[in-house]
Amino acid sequence: MNIENTKAQMKKGVLEFCILSILSHGENYPSEIIEKMKEAKLIVVEGTLYPLLMRLKNDGLLSYRWEESTSGPPRKYYKLTPVGEQFLKELDTTWKELVEAVNKTTNRTSQNG
Amino acid sequence: MNRTITMNLSGIIFHIEEDAYDRLNKYLSTIRSYFKDSDGRDEIMNDIESRIAEMLQEKVSNTKQAVLMMDVESVIALMGRPEDFAGDNEQSQTASQSANENQQRQYNGRRRRVFRDPDEKLLGGVCSGIANYFDFDPIWLRAAFAISFFVFGSGLLVYIILWIIIPEAKTTAEKLEMRGEKVDINNIGKAVTEEFDDLKKRMKNFGDNVGSTENRERVKSSARKATEFLGDVFYNMIKVLGKIVAVFLVIIGILLMVGLLATIFGKGTISVFNAPGSNIHFSLYEFGSAVLPNDLSIQLVVISLILFLGVPLLSIIYAGIRHLFGIKQKNRIVKYTANILWLIGLVMVFYIGTVIGTDFEEQANSKQHIDIKQPANGVLYLDVNPTAEDDIELGSRYRHNRINFGDWNLISKDDNKFRIGYPELNIVASETDSFELVAIRTAHGFDKKDAVNRAKNIDYSLVQNDSTILFNSFFDINAEDKLRAQDLQLIIKVPVGKIVYLGKRTERIIFDIDNVDDALDRDMVNRRWQMTAAGLKCLDCEGLEEKEFDNDSLDRYIKKLHKMDANDVPPPPPAPPEPSEKNNKYFF
Repeated sequence: MNIENTKAQMKKGVLEFCILSILSHGENYPSEIIEKMKEAKLIVVEGTLYPLLMRLKNDGLLSYRWEESTSGPPRKYYKLTPVGEQFLKELDTTWKELVEAVNKTTNRTSQNG
Repeated sequence: MNRTITMNLSGIIFHIEEDAYDRLNKYLSTIRSYFKDSDGRDEIMNDIESRIAEMLQEKVSNTKQAVLMMDVESVIALMGRPEDFAGDNEQSQTASQSANENQQRQYNGRRRRVFRDPDEKLLGGVCSGIANYFDFDPIWLRAAFAISFFVFGSGLLVYIILWIIIPEAKTTAEKLEMRGEKVDINNIGKAVTEEFDDLKKRMKNFGDNVGSTENRERVKSSARKATEFLGDVFYNMIKVLGKIVAVFLVIIGILLMVGLLATIFGKGTISVFNAPGSNIHFSLYEFGSAVLPNDLSIQLVVISLILFLGVPLLSIIYAGIRHLFGIKQKNRIVKYTANILWLIGLVMVFYIGTVIGTDFEEQANSKQHIDIKQPANGVLYLDVNPTAEDDIELGSRYRHNRINFGDWNLISKDDNKFRIGYPELNIVASETDSFELVAIRTAHGFDKKDAVNRAKNIDYSLVQNDSTILFNSFFDINAEDKLRAQDLQLIIKVPVGKIVYLGKRTERIIFDIDNVDDALDRDMVNRRWQMTAAGLKCLDCEGLEEKEFDNDSLDRYIKKLHKMDANDVPPPPPAPPEPSEKNNKYFF
């Protein structure tokens, strides 16, 4: 069993949840999203983000608009669609349940152990 | 000092050093190939490019205007390797699809290819290249080739073909590919298993999608994906099949090639004829000299055969090896040369065929009555003179099993004569009241006269000893006459009411003699036959009628035959001709 692999797997599951959460606070363009996720050490390389955004957009959870930038190429600003908000709410609930469940399980295990 | 290139990335102009540009370009195309076929590749690429443009923009200023290798490296480090993106991608259906495709591409990308190895070469680097491909010590292959050089030079031929087909590893990339990911049965097996797991997964997804039937669009696109995917599977299966076929092509091609060369050059080692008296074998070389007109050189035939048959065989081997190792480069010179050589061969074969064919143009007979002494008691015993060549074959009753050329068998050959088997013996009713013997000799030639001459040159002899005629089972023709479908038919005419006895050995020369009892050749021998107005009638065939095909009666029949043999119920076989004044030998 590769520990790095397992760690990566665990992180992966919550990536979409985190992206949606970040965008729930308002419009963002990819660099900003990356900044926030890097701060939280959720992702290591930026390339990961683009396919994810792409997929969320294609599934109708995100929409974007173009904005000219003074110092570079035009930027894509992403925001949640109503469907995305709904989706995020459900994920939020699931996440809370999951955290609780995991906490319970791990605590019991440590007590037993 | 370094040259720079002007580059447009997402609408922003950069001055970038050449090597840095190469690095960046390679990186982008790797990513592109990673997302190949997945939805929205262009969009992802655009996003990535504009992000890279943004990052590069931070690296340049008025004082540092050029993008350097260092800058590109740091950007790539931030963006991450394509493998890392793919790793984060395995969740949803499309992602898993593209990830799977990515893996495949990665597999393909680093897949090992066969090259001639210029660094380890002894001759052309063929052996070391192939050994690299299959991971073994080249010395074994070299040894195998060295040995095969002596098998009609076939190894040399294969080596030269391989030398031509397999490209040399010139660049570093090619040298790396030469030692790329191992290609072996395990890998192929793995690839196939992955393919089928993937199939299962996709089928399941497809089923789920159909089950939900949320919206038609989705079903439609799933259906499309399913078809695309099935196409993929078939494509891969066909690819695997193709490799197997290629292996067979190469093996069969090489075997046929060795066979061809051995047939042409292996004088007497491999026989085209299953000649009786197995000490005699005919090579194509000798057979050619027996058939070809004197003014047509055997070398011409050899060359034409090599061109006409050898070139296609070499092409098969060539195509097989190319397909096996996935060599894409086309070699026009080889192709055109092969086509032209084959055409030359075709013309030559056509010419030789025409020349030989004209020599078979006309057929002619030469009919001859032979005076035979009438048997004293009205019974004529017929048998075949035993010869050493016949004895070898006596064990086998199935003479039709043997390879015949036309109607006849080449039995043996010395410098002046060909010995050919067998004459055909027929028995018909005589118009007179005496036994008669007619010999009809047939041959072909370019005109009637030529054919008649050949027919008359057919040399045959038989011996009469009182009431017994001993035939020879062969006739001879002159070597300078060449083989021109010479044939000999012997007809015994039996007066009505008289009897012939067919000896055991005559089975060799009789063929479908008309008789009232409809007996087969093998049932006709060892019996007496009386000529009646209706035809030949058997006198010792009581056992034949009850020959029904249940085991009991067959057993009884066989027992009866044995008994007959033991008790000598039928007239005793004629005693071997004793040397006496009465012996008459006929030559004609």
